[in-house]
Amino acid sequence: MQATTIAVKPVAAAIAVQDLTFAYAATPVLQGVSFSLEKRAVGLLGPNGSGKTTLLRALLGHLPLKRGAVSVMGCDMAHDARGARRRLGWMPERGGILPGMSGVAMVAYLGELGGMPPTDALQRAHEVLNYVGLADERYREADTYSQGMRQRLKLAQALVHDPDWLLLDEPTSGLDPRGRVSMLELMRDLAANKGFGIILSTHLLADVREVCQEILVLRQGRLLSHGRVEVAPPGATAQFLVEGFGDEPVFLAALEAAGLTATRRERLLEITAPADAGARLVLAAASASGFALRRLQPRRETLEDLFYQLVDDAGDARSKD
Amino acid sequence: MPVYERGYRHWEHSGHRARAPWWAIARRGIAEPLKSRRLLFLLAVAWVPAIVKGGILYFTFQMGELSRLIGGKWTDIGPRGFLTYLGWQSPFVLILLAIVGSGLISRDRRENGLALYLSRPLGVRDYVLGKGAVVMFYYFAVTLLPVWALCLFGYLVTSGATGLQMLLLIPLQALAYCLVTGAGFTLVLLALSSVGQRTVFVALWWVLLYAGTDGLAKIMSLFSPALEILNFPGQFLNAGIVFFGGEPLCEVPPAASLLVVVAYALLGAWVLRRRIKPVEVVA
Repeated sequence: MQATTIAVKPVAAAIAVQDLTFAYAATPVLQGVSFSLEKRAVGLLGPNGSGKTTLLRALLGHLPLKRGAVSVMGCDMAHDARGARRRLGWMPERGGILPGMSGVAMVAYLGELGGMPPTDALQRAHEVLNYVGLADERYREADTYSQGMRQRLKLAQALVHDPDWLLLDEPTSGLDPRGRVSMLELMRDLAANKGFGIILSTHLLADVREVCQEILVLRQGRLLSHGRVEVAPPGATAQFLVEGFGDEPVFLAALEAAGLTATRRERLLEITAPADAGARLVLAAASASGFALRRLQPRRETLEDLFYQLVDDAGDARSKD
Repeated sequence: MPVYERGYRHWEHSGHRARAPWWAIARRGIAEPLKSRRLLFLLAVAWVPAIVKGGILYFTFQMGELSRLIGGKWTDIGPRGFLTYLGWQSPFVLILLAIVGSGLISRDRRENGLALYLSRPLGVRDYVLGKGAVVMFYYFAVTLLPVWALCLFGYLVTSGATGLQMLLLIPLQALAYCLVTGAGFTLVLLALSSVGQRTVFVALWWVLLYAGTDGLAKIMSLFSPALEILNFPGQFLNAGIVFFGGEPLCEVPPAASLLVVVAYALLGAWVLRRRIKPVEVVA
C-alpha cells in the first residue's frame, strides 16, 4: 500500500487583536486587549458592560482605533475594513430588523449590500431562511415576527453572503427555552459541520459550553482569560477531595511546602492545586509524609466555576489596587 | 425539522455582476414607496400643473401673441415661465419629500439598521449616496421630468424655428437648477432624518422648515424686504434666476440666494457627517 504524504500548512491566525484600547469619550471600554484566534467557535464571555459588544464592533471595523491593531483574515481593519466585512457576518443584539420588508426581501437586500449579485442574493435568501427554519414565514413582514423569529432572521441575514466568520451578539437573548435550544443547535451545526468561525458574545455560560471550543473572558474591558473550553484556562486551579490515614499535620505541612492549600470539609480535605500538575503534587506530598491515601478525587470544575473565579479574582485585585 | 435535515450549501457565485451598494440602496428606497397607492395618486396629481402648462404651450404656439394678450404672464413659455412652473410644484415637493424622505435614515437609526448597513462592505458615503438618490429621484419626478416632458411636447407641437429656439436651452437650464436645488433639499432632509428617530417628527420639522419659514419670511418682509432671505423654499426658487435669467423673485439678489442654497447643503452634509456612524459615541 502506498503511503500518502499530506503537507500541512501552518495556519495563520484568522483574527488577531493587538493591544486594543478604546474609550467612549472618557470612559475606557477596552483596555490593552490582545488575542489571536483560529477559525473555530469562540465564546466571548463577560458580565454586562464588560466590553463584549464593543470588541465585536472593533472586529467589524466600526471603531476609530487610536491605539492597538485589529486584523481579520489578513485585512488590517484600520485600512481595509470593507474587504474584511465581505467575509464577516454580524448578528446584532439590539434591533437589526429593517422595517417595512418581508423576511426574504430583507435578507436578499442585505445580501446585495454584502456584495452579491441580485439573483444570487435572492436565491441565497430563500436557502438560508429555509436553513434557519423560517421558510414558511419568509413572505411575512419582518416587523410582525416574534422574538424567536427575529433572532433567526438576524442569523439568516448574517449568513446570506456566506461569510467565513459569524459575529453573534447575544443570539439567544429573549428566546424561550425551545427557541434557545433551536438557536444553539443552529450555531453548533454551523461551527461543527459547516466550517464557520463563530464568535459568540454572551453572558450565558451554558450557551458557550454548548457551542464553543474556546473562550475569551472579558471583565471591565480587560481580557482575563483565553483558552479551550474543555481545558482550564492558564493560571486556573483545580480542587481535589482527599481522604486517608496517617499523620495529617505532617501531610498538611508537606502540602503547604508544595505550595498547595487544604481546607477541611467534614471528613475530607479539599486541596486547591494548579490545574496542570495538581494530582502529581498531592501524591508527592502524601508519599513524602507517609500519608496513606484512600481517596483522591478531582473535584470537577465547571465552566461556571472557572468564570466566576476569574471574574471575582479580577474584581478583588482591582479593589485592592 | 431538525437542523441536520435542512442542510446548508455554501454560496457559489453565479458570475453575474454585483451592483454598487449605493445603487442597491437607492433602488430599494425608490421602489418601496411606489407600493403605496396614495403616493402614486400624489405623483399623478403633481403632474396636473404640467398638463396645464402643456395646454398653455400648445395654445401659445397655435395662437401666438393672442394667447399672451389673453393669459398675460401665465402664458410665458420662455425660461422664466418654466421657473414659474417649478414654483407651482413647490407644495408637491414639500409633501412628497416629507413622505419619502423623512424616514430614510430615522427608521434605520431607530431599528439599529445603520450598524447593519455598515457591517456590510459599504461606507458612509455609499449609504448617504443611496439614500440621497431616493430623494433626488422623487424631486426630479415632480420637477425636472415634467419640464423635460413639456419641452419635448413643445418641440412636437411648435411649427416654427422660433418655438424650438425658445425651448432649446430649457432642458439644460432645468437640469442645472434641479441638480443644485435637489442636492440642497436632499442634504437638508437627510440631515433632519439623521437627527431624529421618529419619522413623524422629522416630517414635522421638514414642514416647519419649508412652509413655516415661507410664512414667517412673508410676514417679516413687511418690515424689511431683505428678511425674505429667511424663506427656505423661496431662496431655492429665487436661486433659479441664476439659471433661467430674469428679474429676481424677491429683494434678495439671486446669487445670494444661490449661496444660501449652497450653505444649506453644506450644513446638511456637516450634520450627516457627524450623525452617520456605525457606533454612536455619547459624551
